[in-house]
Amino acid sequence: MGNLIWHEWARYVSLTASLYTIWAAYFALLWRKFFWDFVSGIQRNPGGLQPAPGDAFFVSVIVKAPVIPILSIILGGVLVGLEYPAPFLKGTSIQRSLVLRPVLLLIQALIAIFFYQGTNGAIYSLVAAIGYSRALSLGEEMKDAKANKGRGGKA
Amino acid sequence: MGESWFQREFMNGRRLTFNVLFWGSHLFFFAYGWYSQFTNSKLAALNGLKFSVWTSRGAGLVLAYDGGLILLPMLRNIIRVIRPKLAWLFPADENIWFHRQVAYSMAFWAMVHTTAHYVNFINVERTQVRPQIALQIHYTQPGGITGHFMLLIMVLMYTTAHHKVRNQCFEAFWYTHHLAFFFMIGLYTHATGCFVRDSANPDYTYTFPFYSTEHCLGYESWRYTIWPGIIYFSERVYREIRARRATRLSKLLVHPSGAMELRIVKPSFKYTAGQWLFIQVPDVSRWQWHPFTITSAPEDPYVSVHIRQVGDFTRALGERVGAGPSVVAALTQAAMKGSEKDEKIPTSRGDFVELDPASSSRPLPVVRIDGPYGAPAEDVFNVEIAVLIGAGIGVTPFASILKHIWYRQRSGNLGSLRRVEFFWVCRDAPSFGWFQSLLQEVEAAQADPNFLRINIYLTQKIDEDMLWNIAVNDAGAEYDPLTLLRTRTMFGRPDWKNIYARMAQAISTGQYIPGANSQLKTTVGTYFCGPSVLAKAIKEATVESTSASVNFTFAKEHF
Repeated sequence: MGNLIWHEWARYVSLTASLYTIWAAYFALLWRKFFWDFVSGIQRNPGGLQPAPGDAFFVSVIVKAPVIPILSIILGGVLVGLEYPAPFLKGTSIQRSLVLRPVLLLIQALIAIFFYQGTNGAIYSLVAAIGYSRALSLGEEMKDAKANKGRGGKA
Repeated sequence: MGESWFQREFMNGRRLTFNVLFWGSHLFFFAYGWYSQFTNSKLAALNGLKFSVWTSRGAGLVLAYDGGLILLPMLRNIIRVIRPKLAWLFPADENIWFHRQVAYSMAFWAMVHTTAHYVNFINVERTQVRPQIALQIHYTQPGGITGHFMLLIMVLMYTTAHHKVRNQCFEAFWYTHHLAFFFMIGLYTHATGCFVRDSANPDYTYTFPFYSTEHCLGYESWRYTIWPGIIYFSERVYREIRARRATRLSKLLVHPSGAMELRIVKPSFKYTAGQWLFIQVPDVSRWQWHPFTITSAPEDPYVSVHIRQVGDFTRALGERVGAGPSVVAALTQAAMKGSEKDEKIPTSRGDFVELDPASSSRPLPVVRIDGPYGAPAEDVFNVEIAVLIGAGIGVTPFASILKHIWYRQRSGNLGSLRRVEFFWVCRDAPSFGWFQSLLQEVEAAQADPNFLRINIYLTQKIDEDMLWNIAVNDAGAEYDPLTLLRTRTMFGRPDWKNIYARMAQAISTGQYIPGANSQLKTTVGTYFCGPSVLAKAIKEATVESTSASVNFTFAKEHF
């Protein structure tokens, strides 16, 4: 019983995930660490984990130059703009696309999983993507902005 | 709307007090947690992590505080018992609102706490103050595991508790919110990993709580926060036991307007007028409890609720008892025909029809009820004049209250109550046909014409046809053509300031209740149930009209 509109719920999860990811990626600029460095890394005292030589590429895009966190901030910003939605996107076909979102969310999860702070954001992005996929498989559509605003009838 | 955030939060005495106490206590705990970590010489090694560890410890204490508070407003039975005694101290009817405030605070401080810990653990790894790497603390130690699980549970609980999701699918909210059980377990065991310690390795023991408090220097906050959890759990168990006591659905009536009236007999169920209950019909849904206002008076030999078939639960219930939409439509037509034939008595919209269980293939379903739960209208009899205002569907609790007043009036036991003003503001009266029939009974039974006054305001836009109808039919008729009451329906929104000002004037000049004059202070209690915008307007009117001789009070009920 009950009629859960999956994409409306997924929107809240997606907003949470994207805001969390932006916040995490911001901290990833300050404390830079490759999440998977424990795989065949060496534990130094002091200094912590020294990533294995094979991780050199990830070290250069996360630790030396924080390219991945910056990408994550940008993508998170795009998602928040899409979900909130930003005034200039409101009502456009992109903003109402239920296919684009899970794709972006999966990319966000994929990016966030690489840096130390991004794990939870990645997991929540996956949850949101699952929610949107469920919405798609049920054939849900995003209603017109008019029918979709505010607390209708709850004066 | 119309007022700024600042005005709403700080320019209102009660709200200001709440904000100062609530957020002040949070900031105090944060500062104390910070300070106690900062000054603890035993934790000097951890203090090497500097700001991040002070922040995480401060926020951790705040979260323990919130974890202790979050369940308090949900202790429904305890609130019901202490409500009458402590109503002056805090608004016990705002419990869900308070629950939400604690939840918002918890989300914020969880963010602070988690952020700080992410910094802590990476610095633990870099400095090797403990011979561990960050991910070990995150994903192999109790603190990290429970913390991450609590965050995930929070995401699921908060997103499904959003009012939009809650309204469209209550089940998603209801079931997901029971993750709270695991959340609380996570909260109580969050510190069992002995993260805050003055030794390099955790000092575990073989007896409860499995770590030594000599070296594990956490707050031990679970010793305090577990009590609301235990009480809440016991309360849920008690509610389950109480709900299983003998309950029988004795009668099921279908009113012509489509409302079903369930008359339930449960001798162990004691309640006062204006309260509400949870109802469960295992045949329809095994686990769900749905709240309904009690519409019978405590003097009635049964407990009744009126249910309109508007949601999926209520529709499924209608189908189950053989009163589906088609049946109701047929019954309504039959009832209307009956009344048309008998045009000499146009005082009724047709009577209700009792569904005979013998005629249907299935017996009446098993029902279980849980309650009753509180409402401010219990104290109607402590004031001289009661102003009862129901708006829209908010009129339902007054069915019970009016009946109850009527019973007490008959037995001459009205307390200090001298007069009752009943206001019913609604968009379209005919949709509440069952309530009209109840009002008719109460109105007809009035011996003293001055005791109860019924005022009905119809706020819907009236088109030309309807206007003519009213103009022609209303003139000189004994009963109002819309509501079939003796009371005339008024149109448009009531002007509350004017109504209250006139009432205050009439009371102070002694016209309103005979014998009351300005030497006696008269208390006029307003009991309102309906949307909050209207509540605000009425409250303002009561405040404005309060004078030396007349005291207006205001209470609002929540669903």
